[in-house]
Amino acid sequence: MNDFPRCDLEAYLDEALPPEEMARIERAVREDAALMRSLASIHARRGEGIHTLGEIWRQRRLSCPTRQQFGSWLLGAIDEDLARYIAFHVEVVGCRYCQANLADLRTQQDGAEQVAVTRRRKYFQSSAGYLKAEGGGRKGK
Amino acid sequence: MAAPVETDALLIRRIREGDSDAWYELIARFEGRLLAFIESRTRHRSAAEDLVQETFIGFLTSLPNFDGRRPLEGYLFSIAAHKLIDYLRREGRRPMLPLLPAGSGASSWDPVGGARPASSIARSGERRHLEEEALAAALVQQIDHFLRRGQWERLECAELLFVRGWSNKAAASRLGIGEQTVANYKFEFIAALRAAVRSQRLPEAVFPELYQQS
Repeated sequence: MNDFPRCDLEAYLDEALPPEEMARIERAVREDAALMRSLASIHARRGEGIHTLGEIWRQRRLSCPTRQQFGSWLLGAIDEDLARYIAFHVEVVGCRYCQANLADLRTQQDGAEQVAVTRRRKYFQSSAGYLKAEGGGRKGK
Repeated sequence: MAAPVETDALLIRRIREGDSDAWYELIARFEGRLLAFIESRTRHRSAAEDLVQETFIGFLTSLPNFDGRRPLEGYLFSIAAHKLIDYLRREGRRPMLPLLPAGSGASSWDPVGGARPASSIARSGERRHLEEEALAAALVQQIDHFLRRGQWERLECAELLFVRGWSNKAAASRLGIGEQTVANYKFEFIAALRAAVRSQRLPEAVFPELYQQS
């Protein structure tokens, strides 16, 4: 019998839980047929268009701080209440998207810019062939 | 806590015109966070970089269907999540879900008593979208209300209860408040959302959560 809240199972389906909790559910589902059925049931329910608050809140990121707020938070230049909320949102709620933003900003702070530029060029070169104007043609670089 | 939708819209317009400088700009803006998102699960840098690359290609191929009113970052994360899920399945880390027969998904949500089960209500995709928009608008209104008044405790409480599915007891313990306070916050939050659903004349059965919480 699994004890995962339904909200967490919904987030698992969206790949939206913190990594360690994603892994915990993955381990559990291999040994628990009932958990597998719960996940399948949630998946089917979504197909029927049933709405849940958590899904809408999480998918639309209704309370996620902005990237600018994260930047200020890292610099310690933010209102105390908001700073406390940001820590709560990232560490307690475990918002995976905000964790990613924060990790990225921390990497930038660490000065890994040249590595990033190399990566960006690689992404650009491998994808630019798919870029085309909706009316035809291409411009730039 | 709004996303910069207008800036994104301008960038998307330029990309739709085939502007490769704009495309590079989008890559530069988003690749770091996408890489962090994916690598936290692959724990393998080169696999993560490949998936980010696939995400950007997926974005361009799906661009004709992208709704410019959607936040760009959220859309990119959703493509990245799909690429990541495929990868984890190929690696044998993420099990495939069995298919359930039609109508079986809502069984645990159908209301007790004589109300019509949600799964029996035939609705168009457009109708479902409108319902979701209405609930999202009501949530935004409530969250803004908390933010404007500095009611951080209420916001955190709602987030624990509805986004993470914590029990009243667990939320009370984490926030250092009484269970009755949590119950009161929850009641008021649900009541406000129910009022919004009623004012839009939307069917209660498609928001079962609002009518099952106590």
